[in-house]
Amino acid sequence: MSKGTNIRMWHRTVFVLLMMIVAGFGAVVFNLVRLQIVEGETLKMRAVDNQVKDTVLTAQRGTIYDQNLKILAQSATVWQVVLEPAYITDKNRDVIAAGLSEILGLDKETILKHSKKKTYYDVIKRKVESSVKDQIVAFKDKNDITNGIRLIEDYKRYYPYGTLASTILGFTGTDSQGLSGIEAEYDSELTGVSGKLVTAKNAIGTDMQYDYEQEVPAQDGHSLVLTIDEVVQHILEKNLAEGLADNNVQNRGCAIIMNVKTGAIIAMAVKGDFDPNDPFTIADKTQADAIAKMTDGAEKTQAIQKAQQAQWRNKCVSDTYQPGSVFKMITGASAMEENLVSENTQFSCPGYLKVGDRIIHDWRRSGFGSLTFAQGICKSSNVVFMKVGQLLGPDLFFKYFDAFGFTSKTGIDLPGESRSLYYTASQLKPVELATSAFGQSFTITPIQMVTACAAVANGGYLVHPHVVDRILDSVGNIVKTAETSPKRQVISEDTSKRISAILQQDATSGTASSGYIPGYRIAGKTGTSEKQEIKTSKEYIASYCGFAPADDPRIAMLVFYDEPHGSSYYGSQVAGPVFLKTMSEVLPYLGVEPVYTEEEMAKLDAQTPSVTGMTVAQAKNKIFQNGLTSQFYGSGEKVVSQVPEPGKSIPKGGQVVLFTDEQSASKTVAVPDLVGLTLAQANERASAVGINLSITGAALSGTANTISKLQDVPAGTKVSPGTVVTVSFIETSHVE
Amino acid sequence: MTRHQGTVTPMPRNMSKRPTGEIHAAAAYGKKVRKKFRIFSVRSGMDLPFLFLVMVLLIIGLIMMFSASYANAFYRHNGNSYFFISKQAIFAVLGLVVMFAVSYFDYHHFHEFAIPILLVSYALLVLVRFMPAVNGVHRWIDLGPFGQFQPSEIAKFSIVLIFAHLISLNFNRMGTFLYGVLPYALILGMTAALLMWEPHVSATVIIALIGAVMLFIGGVKLRWFVGAFSIFGAGVAYLVLFAKEYAYASDRITAWLDPFSNATPELIADTWQTRQSLYAIGSGGLLGLGLGQSRQKFLYLPEPQNDFIFAIVCEELGFIGALIIIILFAMLIWRGITISLRSRDKFGRLLGIGLIVQVGLQVILNVAVVTNTIPNTGISLPFFSYGGTSLVILLAEMGIVLSISRTSAIEKI
Repeated sequence: MSKGTNIRMWHRTVFVLLMMIVAGFGAVVFNLVRLQIVEGETLKMRAVDNQVKDTVLTAQRGTIYDQNLKILAQSATVWQVVLEPAYITDKNRDVIAAGLSEILGLDKETILKHSKKKTYYDVIKRKVESSVKDQIVAFKDKNDITNGIRLIEDYKRYYPYGTLASTILGFTGTDSQGLSGIEAEYDSELTGVSGKLVTAKNAIGTDMQYDYEQEVPAQDGHSLVLTIDEVVQHILEKNLAEGLADNNVQNRGCAIIMNVKTGAIIAMAVKGDFDPNDPFTIADKTQADAIAKMTDGAEKTQAIQKAQQAQWRNKCVSDTYQPGSVFKMITGASAMEENLVSENTQFSCPGYLKVGDRIIHDWRRSGFGSLTFAQGICKSSNVVFMKVGQLLGPDLFFKYFDAFGFTSKTGIDLPGESRSLYYTASQLKPVELATSAFGQSFTITPIQMVTACAAVANGGYLVHPHVVDRILDSVGNIVKTAETSPKRQVISEDTSKRISAILQQDATSGTASSGYIPGYRIAGKTGTSEKQEIKTSKEYIASYCGFAPADDPRIAMLVFYDEPHGSSYYGSQVAGPVFLKTMSEVLPYLGVEPVYTEEEMAKLDAQTPSVTGMTVAQAKNKIFQNGLTSQFYGSGEKVVSQVPEPGKSIPKGGQVVLFTDEQSASKTVAVPDLVGLTLAQANERASAVGINLSITGAALSGTANTISKLQDVPAGTKVSPGTVVTVSFIETSHVE
Repeated sequence: MTRHQGTVTPMPRNMSKRPTGEIHAAAAYGKKVRKKFRIFSVRSGMDLPFLFLVMVLLIIGLIMMFSASYANAFYRHNGNSYFFISKQAIFAVLGLVVMFAVSYFDYHHFHEFAIPILLVSYALLVLVRFMPAVNGVHRWIDLGPFGQFQPSEIAKFSIVLIFAHLISLNFNRMGTFLYGVLPYALILGMTAALLMWEPHVSATVIIALIGAVMLFIGGVKLRWFVGAFSIFGAGVAYLVLFAKEYAYASDRITAWLDPFSNATPELIADTWQTRQSLYAIGSGGLLGLGLGQSRQKFLYLPEPQNDFIFAIVCEELGFIGALIIIILFAMLIWRGITISLRSRDKFGRLLGIGLIVQVGLQVILNVAVVTNTIPNTGISLPFFSYGGTSLVILLAEMGIVLSISRTSAIEKI
């Protein structure tokens, strides 16, 4: 043992000691200073964020109600199933995989693979219903599994009415974020505020045992009460879908019903739409089948995406179109407001007008001869309106175009509202002015059109269209209500009344009379516009815009079909009947009392008296007194039942069928096909089988050239004799 | 602080200022006392400062282990918050008994155990390879009611012991290849190979470092270290970059470089533990959230009672608390090395230094992992991390240091 080696050992030991203390401990202390003092606050913030995020206690998303507080969209608790592979042992791995694959319907091998990952957290299934979660809990208890499977609370969005109002409602993504419609527009209100302090929850989402003073619990999202009325929405969607099928519409249709005084959207429908419970599935069957047949690849993916985008698109606010003749109500109202025309101002209409060096024809090339201004609207003469446009001049025309809200977005609380395209006053050369006057050469959105129509109807006030009436907090207090006061007055109340009267006349006997319902004083205007962007083939947009009742307007409505490929593409024949049918169902629901003119009264229905229990002779007499005829079946002495039931309206002269014994009461007849007939033909067919007709539409205006367009009970249905079938008529001579 | 100065200025008598003189005197002193006892070395008292530091660290360690494990025990063991601490406390008491017993045992008898213990460690390392894999690695032997046991703990001790044994016997020939390098390279290579078979990279690294330190102190020529480090560095680089079966190690290195990366779900999973640890440390700030107030232990930080316990310490006690604990560890190492250096013979010196260096390396590497200074690898924190058998082994090793202190030429209190 030499001294040298001892000294070396001492030196080397001291060196190791100093290395450990200075380099080793120094380095870690240096890092602690960096992490705790320098970056401490940042990391602390991130830790809190992390704890917020990982508690998975997202605030419950608010509910969406209709006007009558029916639930349109609601969040319910569901569960995320998470594996903790690090806590799964080889002993229970197989049991867990087998059990979960059975309960969740997943492949066992996949679960086994997940269970071998080197992680502490692996989501294997999301949005699992509470009943399934209970099964998993029971499975864990039964097999004594304490670690390895976590269940984390989550929310799922339900839309109880399925496709109803899907375009307005939109839908949510996997993280409950709003992706379209109201869900997207009001996402921040609906989402609520996540808990700012996480300490209340541990990483698996159950309560911690500690009571932290700083706790700020998550605030559930606000709920929305829409202006939409589920019943009206349902009526509108049903009729819109029927019209879509009847007219073989290629590019979907849409319709809006608005409260003219407040701008509240009572119903807004787009067909074909989608089911928000399953928004990514292509709802249109033919399209879905066509895509399913495609081979997998980029092309298919693209087709699916295109179809999805199409079914999510809200045509009411995102599509623009040339309104065509519907716009004449705006040009007309502007000219009347400026006292440039009155109802009786005379116009000559030779069937064309030379503007600059161009000759622009009317829709009826032979012309109308001499017309008053009011007649010009009813006949929808383009020449008359080119002349009205010339009277206004570019400056005044554009002033009203702007005032009626066509130059800016309406600001409706729905995403994706498009901008209109138009000529400004200085760009309106004679040709542009002439065509603009009858609704061509500019494009606007349907919502802009219906808002302007509401202004024409309501005394001249331009309203704020909106779909959310009020926002409620999680306990039901009102947080915010919609703006219902008008933006501005565009025309005077007097002008509004006068133009309304003309439009009512139009709906009663003019081009728009296919929208006529006796007693409800409907005012309206049809429109058929050529889609200019399509150069290869002629495609049309058929629309009908109007309001009711004309003397005290309540609702305005626009029906719009894009590319009808049926027997007709005219607004009066495609959109008109749908408008009519919807109004006839919606107005009674809204409590609008019918007011009949004398002429209408004469043609009107009679009420069926109650004759059950009377003798045959008494019953016959009573029915005759009510202006009806009777038909008896059976061999009994007294009437045991009657069709139609007492108090039902059927046309005067209609037949009441009376049964005198029970056997005969079960007699049925088949409803004949009543579409495409004149009034007389329809009556003949109906009486042949012993059923009653209720007539709506153009037939009541007294003109001759009307044919039936719709019947409410489909042909071939077995009904009791005497049953009332409603048939609507349109006027064929008046098309544009 | 006067106490500390006492440790640097040792030896009650023979007040020589030169270190060589002190060592010489200590050796002579040791020789003198050795004759007076055989198996049990009770003649002189053990070093109370060292004992005090061990006890303080053990108590703080148990308190922090309880705090860190509390939530995990509650949620994972049917609401039994005392699940981990009750077991650990029993092992702590058992460990203290073992420690005192060993401290009375003349450490020279370990000369005779060096080779048997080495062979036992090899046998256990082979045996453990046939135990069921946990997370894909074979590191644990199940002892039933006594919990689990890592043979790598024994392997560490066996290397310290056999190196101390061989170096002290061949001290003057350490400059040669045949006596100074070859046997150690073979023994260390064998242990390392068995550990990599499990595989257990962190234990391999620690054992290699302990071996290197002991050879360095034992007087191996520096050029051998240059060569060994070159080979070692190349090997590590190869493993990280190329070897597929160690893919988990290279994943961990990716995770180390960017602990907050969200690039892939796999990466998020890999960095989960590290990022939760950093959140915990950062949340602590200067003064901490207070004892028992950690939020990250509520299942955010997986198994907070094990390797990442120091993160919870930082969160609850803050930088000040963490620094105090690191200083306590530093004092323990300082005192332990002082005791060892003043041991009466080379065997005691090397054995003591080896054991203390092992504790020091574990502390440094553990805190380095927790603070993401080095990539995540499983190294436990002495006195703090949960684990009954490893605590007993640790306390037994501290017992050996205390046994050395009984005859060490330092001032006893």
